[in-house]
Amino acid sequence: MAGKRDDERKNSVGPVLRAGEMADAVMQALEEDNPGKEFVVQDHVAYLRIETEGECIVRRETIERALGRPFKMPELEVNLTSFSGRIETTEDHMRFYLEKRL
Amino acid sequence: MALLDRSEWYGLARETNWTPRYVAENELFPADLSDPYGLPMKAWEAFDEPYKVSYREYVKVQREKDANAYSVKAALSRSKFYDSADEGYLSLLKLHYGAVSLTEYQACQAQGRMSRFSKAPGMRNTSTFGMMDEMRHTQLQLFFPHELVTRDRQFDWAHEATHTKNWAVLGGRHCMDDIMMTRDAITTSIMLSFAFETGLTNLQMVGLAADSEAIGDFTFSNMITSIQSDEARHAQLGTPSIEILIKNGKKAEAQKALDISFWRVWRLFAILTGIPMDYYIPLEKRHMSFKEFMHEWVIKQFVRQLNDIGLEKPWYWDMFLDDIENHHHCQQGGIWSWRPTVWWNPPGAVGPKEREWLEKKYPGWNDSYGRYWDVIIGNLLDGHEEKTHPNCIPVICNMCQIPVSNRPGPKWKARVYQLDYKEKRYNFCTPVCKWIFEQEPERYKDFETIVDRMYSGVIDPPTLPNVLTYMGIGVVSNGGRDGYDYSWINGYRKQAAE
Repeated sequence: MAGKRDDERKNSVGPVLRAGEMADAVMQALEEDNPGKEFVVQDHVAYLRIETEGECIVRRETIERALGRPFKMPELEVNLTSFSGRIETTEDHMRFYLEKRL
Repeated sequence: MALLDRSEWYGLARETNWTPRYVAENELFPADLSDPYGLPMKAWEAFDEPYKVSYREYVKVQREKDANAYSVKAALSRSKFYDSADEGYLSLLKLHYGAVSLTEYQACQAQGRMSRFSKAPGMRNTSTFGMMDEMRHTQLQLFFPHELVTRDRQFDWAHEATHTKNWAVLGGRHCMDDIMMTRDAITTSIMLSFAFETGLTNLQMVGLAADSEAIGDFTFSNMITSIQSDEARHAQLGTPSIEILIKNGKKAEAQKALDISFWRVWRLFAILTGIPMDYYIPLEKRHMSFKEFMHEWVIKQFVRQLNDIGLEKPWYWDMFLDDIENHHHCQQGGIWSWRPTVWWNPPGAVGPKEREWLEKKYPGWNDSYGRYWDVIIGNLLDGHEEKTHPNCIPVICNMCQIPVSNRPGPKWKARVYQLDYKEKRYNFCTPVCKWIFEQEPERYKDFETIVDRMYSGVIDPPTLPNVLTYMGIGVVSNGGRDGYDYSWINGYRKQAAE
C-alpha cells in the first residue's frame, strides 16, 4: 500500500459503479472518449472503482453504442454509487475532474 | 413536440427567488434557520449544483432503482439465505438497521428544512430531491428487515431503536441532532451533505457491500448501493455552499462546520462500520480491513475533494489517523463486554486465526488489544463466563456519548479529558470531543449521558434491571449475548491440548 501522504496527493478521478452491463459499457466508453488516458480499474466485486489522472469524460452517444440501445445520461445514476473528484452533468455527458492538480 | 433539453430551461426554472413585500426578508429567511453567516441574497443565487436532475428524470430513474431493489429482494427471499446466515453477519444487519433506518427519516426532515430555508434556489431544488431520496431510504430499510422480525425480535430495532433510550441510540441521536436537526440550512449542507454524506456514508453503503456480496447477501448489497446512488447525487449540494462561503470571506466558518461534523460522524462510523468489517464478518469473507476501506474512501477520495474545493484537512488529522487504528478495536472490546445492553449479538470472534489477521492489518494489535482479550479468553477457558461481564460503570464522553477508552497494553493511551463549566465537570474521550464542546458549551451542557441519568435520578433506582429496561432491553427484544456462544475460543482449547 502506498503511503498515506502520497495518496492524499494523487489526482485520481472517475466513477464508482455497481458491477454489471452498465459498468462494462461505461468502461468501454471511457476508453473511447478519453484517447490516450490510462484507466485503473479496481474490482471490489460489489463495485468497480475506475480511476484516471485529473479528468475524464463519458458521453451519452458512446455509451449508447456500447450498450447497443438508446440511453439517456441520467440513467447512469442507477449504477453510479459514488465517484472520485468532482462531477459535471449534462444531457450529453458526465465529466469527472479536479480543478487543482497536486 | 419533442421535449426541450434540460439545459435549455433548467437555469430559468431554478430562479425561484423573489422580493417579498408582505414580510421582511429576515422573516422569510430567519438567520438561525437560513444563514447565520449573513451573506446577501445575491451571493446565494450564484449557487450552482453540479449534479443536476429534472423532476421528470428523477421519477424515471428512481422508479428504476426501486424496481430493481425490490425485485432482487423478492427473487432472493426464496433462497433462504437468512435461515443459515452466520450469526456475526446477522448482528451486522441488526446494528445497521437499528442505527440507520430511522436516521434516514431524520435526514429527510433535514433535507426538508434546507428546501424551505435556504436562500439558494439551487439548494432548495437539490434538497427537495434529497428529501424524497431519504424517504425512499427509510421505506427500504424498514421494509427489508420487516420479514426478519418474526424469526428474531432483535430485528424489530430497525423501527424501534430511535424511539428508545438505549445508550448506543443516545450516541447516534446526539450526533444527528447536532449536525442535521438543529442547524441552519447552510451549516446543514456542510455538516450533513459534505462531511457526513460525501465523506463517510460510502463506507457503510458501498464498502460494506463488498463484504455482503462475498457472504452471499445480494439483497442487502444491492439495496445499500442503490441507496448510495441517491446520496452521490444529493450530497453534491454541500460543495457550492462551501465555495460560496469561501468566496465571501467565510472560510474559517465553513472549515469549523466540517471539523465538528466530520469528527462526530467518524466516531459513530468506527462502531457502525469498523467493528462489523473487522470482527463480525467471518474471516474468510472479509474483503479488506476497515482501515483499508478508510484509506480508499476517506484518506484518498474525500480528502482530495475537500482540498479541491478550498478547505483543509481538519486540524486534528493526526489524531484521526491514530483513531482509525484504535477506536473501533476499543469499542469492540467494550460492546462485547457490555453485550447485554445492545440489541445485537456481538461475536467476540478473536480466535487464533482472527488474531493473526488483526495483527497483520493492525501491527501491534496483539500487544495491546490482544492483552485485553487474553484475560477474557483465560476466564472463558477456565469456565468463568461470569468474570467476562464487568461490574463497573464506564465513563461516558459528554460529547460522543461513547465510553471513554483508548489503546490498552504497554503503549497505554486511555485517559479522560475534563472540563469544568458552570459548576459541572464534563468528561471527554479525546481533545477533539472536548474542543467541540468548547465551541458552544451552552448548546451541549444540559444533555445527560446514560451514566449521568443513573446518578441524577432519571433511572431510579439505578439497578441493572432498571437500567436495561430504561434502554429498551427486554422491552423491544432481548439484549445481546456472544454471537457464536463462545465457540471462537475452541481454537485456544485445541492449542492448549496440543
